[in-house]
Amino acid sequence: MQDNQKIKEYDALVIGAGIAGGEAALNLANLGNKVLLIDKDLTVGGKMIMLSKVFPTLDCSACITTPKVSEIARHSNITVLTSTEASDIIQKDDGTFEALITTQPRYVVVEDCTGCQLCEEACPVNVEDEYQYGLAGRKAAFIPFSIASPRAAAIDIENCTLCGACERACPTHCIDFTQTEEKYTISCKTVVAATGFQLFDPTLIPRYGFGRFKNVITSMQMERQLAPTRPFNTVLRPSDGKMPDNIAYILCTGSRDKTVGTPICSQVCCMYSTKQAQLLMGALPMADITLYYLHIRAFGKGFNEFYAQAQSMGVEFVKGKVAKITEKEDGNLILRYEDINTGKVTETEHDMVVLSVGILPNEGITGLFTNRKLELDPFNYVSQSSPLESPAMTTVDGVFVAGTASGPMDIPDSILSAGAASSEAANYIRKVSQNKVTV
Amino acid sequence: MKTKIGVYICHCGGNISDYVDVKKVREAVKDIEGVEISLDTMFACADSSQKQISDDVAEKGLDGLVVASCSPKLHYPTFSACAERGGLNKYNYVHANIREQVSWAHSDNKEAATEKAIKIVKAAIARVKESAALEPIEIKAQKSIAVLGAGVAGMRAAKELADLGIQVYLIEREHFTGGRVSQLDYLCGADITGKELVTHLYEKIHEHPNVTLFTGAEVIEKGGSIGNFKIKVKITPRFIKKECNPEELKKAIEVCPVEVEDDFNFNITKRKAIYKNYDSEYPQIPTIDNKNCTRCGECEKVCSSIDFSQKEEILDLTVGSILAATGFDPYQPKDGEFGWGIGNVVTLPQFRRIINMCDDKLIYKGKEIKDIAYIYCVGSRQVDGDNKYCSRYCCTATLYTSILTHKKYKGINSYHFNRGIRTYGKQEVIYDEASRLGDIFLQSYEYDPPVVEKVNGKTNVKIEDILTGGREIEVDADLVVLVTGMEPRNDCTIGDVLKIPKGRDRFYNEIHMKLRPVETVIDGITIAGACQGPKNIMESMNSALSAAAKSYSIVNKGELALEPIIAKVDKKTCIWCGKCAEACPYDAIEMIKENGKEIAEINASVCKGCGMCLPVCESNSIDMDGFTDVEIESMISVLAES
Repeated sequence: MQDNQKIKEYDALVIGAGIAGGEAALNLANLGNKVLLIDKDLTVGGKMIMLSKVFPTLDCSACITTPKVSEIARHSNITVLTSTEASDIIQKDDGTFEALITTQPRYVVVEDCTGCQLCEEACPVNVEDEYQYGLAGRKAAFIPFSIASPRAAAIDIENCTLCGACERACPTHCIDFTQTEEKYTISCKTVVAATGFQLFDPTLIPRYGFGRFKNVITSMQMERQLAPTRPFNTVLRPSDGKMPDNIAYILCTGSRDKTVGTPICSQVCCMYSTKQAQLLMGALPMADITLYYLHIRAFGKGFNEFYAQAQSMGVEFVKGKVAKITEKEDGNLILRYEDINTGKVTETEHDMVVLSVGILPNEGITGLFTNRKLELDPFNYVSQSSPLESPAMTTVDGVFVAGTASGPMDIPDSILSAGAASSEAANYIRKVSQNKVTV
Repeated sequence: MKTKIGVYICHCGGNISDYVDVKKVREAVKDIEGVEISLDTMFACADSSQKQISDDVAEKGLDGLVVASCSPKLHYPTFSACAERGGLNKYNYVHANIREQVSWAHSDNKEAATEKAIKIVKAAIARVKESAALEPIEIKAQKSIAVLGAGVAGMRAAKELADLGIQVYLIEREHFTGGRVSQLDYLCGADITGKELVTHLYEKIHEHPNVTLFTGAEVIEKGGSIGNFKIKVKITPRFIKKECNPEELKKAIEVCPVEVEDDFNFNITKRKAIYKNYDSEYPQIPTIDNKNCTRCGECEKVCSSIDFSQKEEILDLTVGSILAATGFDPYQPKDGEFGWGIGNVVTLPQFRRIINMCDDKLIYKGKEIKDIAYIYCVGSRQVDGDNKYCSRYCCTATLYTSILTHKKYKGINSYHFNRGIRTYGKQEVIYDEASRLGDIFLQSYEYDPPVVEKVNGKTNVKIEDILTGGREIEVDADLVVLVTGMEPRNDCTIGDVLKIPKGRDRFYNEIHMKLRPVETVIDGITIAGACQGPKNIMESMNSALSAAAKSYSIVNKGELALEPIIAKVDKKTCIWCGKCAEACPYDAIEMIKENGKEIAEINASVCKGCGMCLPVCESNSIDMDGFTDVEIESMISVLAES
């Protein structure tokens, strides 16, 4: 990318290259539209590419995501920019938009990087790996993960000591510390907001001890332990590296809980926990798995059958909200809860606890627009101005929402929502092109 | 014969390599004659691996490619595209499935699994050696789409497609549009009613020059294939002239002596044989129910718009794609199921109609209703019955209905006999609101459903309640509402005509829930709304718009490239016995005369390459491109080697 005074023109700007943004971009591109797809992360694929297998079919998540990611990367109508954000979006009188695009330096020339990982070996700096959700370490010169796209190194400049070891090790001389932030303006006819979700931070519920009790982990950390690109090649509990044999899941951690400001249900945790329980029965055949739940929400196509399958496999479902966790000296954990089935307050010991954390809206999307107000709903998701007639429509004409940016949803729903957004965006592009829009 | 074959064996991140010794497979095939390069890879489908494969094809000039990985259903297109990008004809690519057919199937025996994987990869190499380069068959695609069903999903899809410049034929079986949503009044999460939503959508399609609406119309035959479906539409007459006199028609309805169950109101009221379901219904013209009309002629006496001379019509249409949005039926309880048959036991859809009819007092069968018992999961999540699925919309719909009754009437007490409330996502606030209004929730054990009985003239509901630690609790209800789930349409003739496959839950099946959620295995036919599975309105709209985008992408260019994997006739040896034409399920084979000889001819755009004609051909004159006898025999000889 060079600094180019001429404004680059696209038909659509898609913000967020997770599964929803990717799907919307592909649909639009396949209909002949020029798409700029941006993601603030170093790789496309969003959260889905990090998952193990997906419910209720137990398809390997990477196997579904990678072909899409690959198609996106290669599509002649799609320009993908990672480490990139949009801001200062202005809607003009003819309904089109202008946006400021900012790309952070990666300090690696992506086209020249072969992904050989020699820089990783050479780098002396060790930090926590955010792509493994803190379960493992990574270097300051690193490839995010093996199926990242682009599969190219990046320098974590925050932690880099500028020792130069990576530069010396790189056989293609693609490391370039002179790269700087790039800013330029683009024009587009429509904007698709596919900004996804973030996970609930369980330290906000101190009584569950996350961060203090070593063997209390989040469901995303368990997801990583079960994924094909897993850090340990098996499931281990953090305190002593033993394979756990009595795992508890606490559902609704940070969902349906007004005390932490999330009154709504996250829609996916029941099913992903049930899925992880099934996978754990395969990975740790001797382990007991117990799910502590309020209601099991197995509502989608094939979900209830999947829930029944987990029950028949021997997964224990206990109705009751866990009040408190205490840690024993050996790292095991005591769960105190009211067992609704018996009506009694009960304490049970487990050697590992997984907090099924809920999903929260990503912040900051409204601030991207300057002369238009992109409204949020009461739960801070992008507001749908006509949910029953045009679910992708937002309060800004020409801006459409796809996936979890408008509320919690599972992968099939995200993909359908992206389909709806691309359909409406395509129509809007058509109208703008025919000068039929006045705003 | 190929001399530069590339073979790539995928670990699938452990999915394969946990059970198959991938390195050993590679060792076993690397020295086979013609194999130029053999590699194993963690994820063959990852972008970097794909790049390597296509680079190898280009740089090493490979003339054949084999990737041993998962099911071709998932990644055949991925790797054949890799071949193409490297400059190799994609039909010189052969896919070997060593995941579904090997590692997943034989996880108990790693050695044998590895042996089997070796054989499968060897067979694929043998086949690729014999493979021929093929070119796609280019056909013209009609820039028109048939949308089946004018419920909200169908109407929404029709509007979107019409806006995109496509000629849409919207075909509705009933004489009115709106489907199930018009039977709802207030809608959860919206400030418009179901009828208003229907009206709004109707106005948009009615005014649209690109939409032709047929009511009372059914697709009775489908021929052709993607790009050029030929459908026959049967249109039953309304027996009312288009230019009608509304005042006279009102009188006609009054004088009609025939009274039948009103299925729009789920049989809680009666209607005439000449009828309209509600005032603002579209099209605005009433219809005559031919099944029940006695032709007594009373209506004709008062109304000049009646026209019994109207005849059934058959219309032939050619369309590029078909979008099926044929909706659902509410579950119909069996006699005795949760008290069904007792006078004051109704279904949720009936109850919604009752609420719509009662203004300030909730009255059913002359009695004011105060205590309402809702029984959840009737026809869904069945322990004994076939419907194992959750109907998804009903928990929220019921709680919303309860809130409606509190808002509309005074002194209502609601008892929810549920099996775990599933107000997923933002719908949680509905549950919260119902709870704050004082609704009582009782939850039954999975195998111990509540019992509804008539006891001393009262309708009694009894439950062993989980939420109070298993106590037996009874409620005498003025009205019991059975929360009936969604079922696939009982009359699914259209599915049979279109040959859309169904899932275990009997709803129409998509190809892949995540990769291709609105496409069916019949190329060119997409599905939208509740015919694919239970959905609320918003979810139906999302799927309708997705299906519209997909159908649009099929027809918008006006031409299509079809798979060239089709049957070919050897003109020299064919003696036209006609057996192939009999065996063909797609009517793709016809007899032609060439140089005075009768032979079979295959219509390339209709042939699907199913292979049904091959085994019946006595003179062995038919071969299949891409699956030739030579290719298959070469695989068999490798597999038969010991």
